[in-house]
Amino acid sequence: MAIKKGPSEKLAALFGLKIGNIATALEEPGQKFFCNNNRLMDHDEVADLSNEFQILIASLLGSKEPGNNTSPEFQALEMFFTNLSRNILMRGGNVEEVVRYTQHLQLTLIDALEKTSGIPFSQSRSVLLYFTNIFNELIMSVFHVYLEERERTLEAQQAELRETATPITEIWDGVLTLPIIGTLDSNRTMLVMEALLNRIAKDHAKAVVMDLTGVKSIDSQVSHHLVQMVHAVQLMGSDAIVTGIRPEIARALVSLNIDLANITTRASMSDGLKEAFLRMGITVTNK
Amino acid sequence: MTIPGLHLTQIGGGDFLLEPTKNLNVRDLSRLVESITARLMQARASRLYYDLSGLALIDPLYYGWLDTLARAAKTINVKMICINMQPTAAFALSKFITKMPVFETALNI
Repeated sequence: MAIKKGPSEKLAALFGLKIGNIATALEEPGQKFFCNNNRLMDHDEVADLSNEFQILIASLLGSKEPGNNTSPEFQALEMFFTNLSRNILMRGGNVEEVVRYTQHLQLTLIDALEKTSGIPFSQSRSVLLYFTNIFNELIMSVFHVYLEERERTLEAQQAELRETATPITEIWDGVLTLPIIGTLDSNRTMLVMEALLNRIAKDHAKAVVMDLTGVKSIDSQVSHHLVQMVHAVQLMGSDAIVTGIRPEIARALVSLNIDLANITTRASMSDGLKEAFLRMGITVTNK
Repeated sequence: MTIPGLHLTQIGGGDFLLEPTKNLNVRDLSRLVESITARLMQARASRLYYDLSGLALIDPLYYGWLDTLARAAKTINVKMICINMQPTAAFALSKFITKMPVFETALNI
């Protein structure tokens, strides 16, 4: 997006301009969007912001290629907006405020330049076009930060969910329980299996009770994963007991021709635990 | 009588412990099975513990070896029990077997 080196005098005048003392004028958009009732910044911070922006824009306009958006000067400006939006988002601000601030800053900047130089920049199409191009790029970088931030939040939530969705508990010495809640897909089965097998190795668990009460539906792939999981547990040398198979899941398993012949099943988790205790020779009695 | 690629030790009564080394060549299946069964028969063994603790992964080839050995042991009334299977190996193995293997498994002896 290179700016054509046209015959526009005003653009040439703009690039030749000595910029100074416009920082105070540039504070207005910051005050308006960050200092009102949302209290995202205090007045000193806005003043710093304007100063920094003035230096960056002056170095861009004074650089050899002001229209080149890969130049170090432009990248410095982009970085400034990236950091600004990161800050604002971190403080609980909205992406809309940063975008509005950026748009407003463009108008304020042209205004301020007009006032200090006396040249009517707002009359020149090429100057307006130039600034529009620059500020569009900057708004893009603001959005990039916003999207990155969102993505990170989503990932963190998913990781959190994965961890909490499959709690493996040692309910008795050598007896692990694994309540499975929600849907099992390949990805999740893999994670659960990995966690479970490592846990068996670590705790020397003799029995694992897998509770399916929380599984609403099952398809052929998922049931295959389930059988796989039971096999892996048995291969490690532990007993696997599957409990809490709902009627609809039982029906599905039968119609899918899944062979549960070598898999111990019990109606409820408590029956499963009793079975595990029985196999380990533990007796629990009423006092 | 040493068998290349493994250590076969009598650990008391009719129990034997088989510890494979890194040099075990499972392609040389028939000769290995023959030597092991001969040794087990000679000592009137009843159980063979196969230690899998050094094995991070079990591929179909290795499974084939275990399966053959277990079935050969069964013919002379020796029960083969695989011990110390690593989580990663159990995971890999469960991916390609469709029914439980001939040998038994245990956490440890």
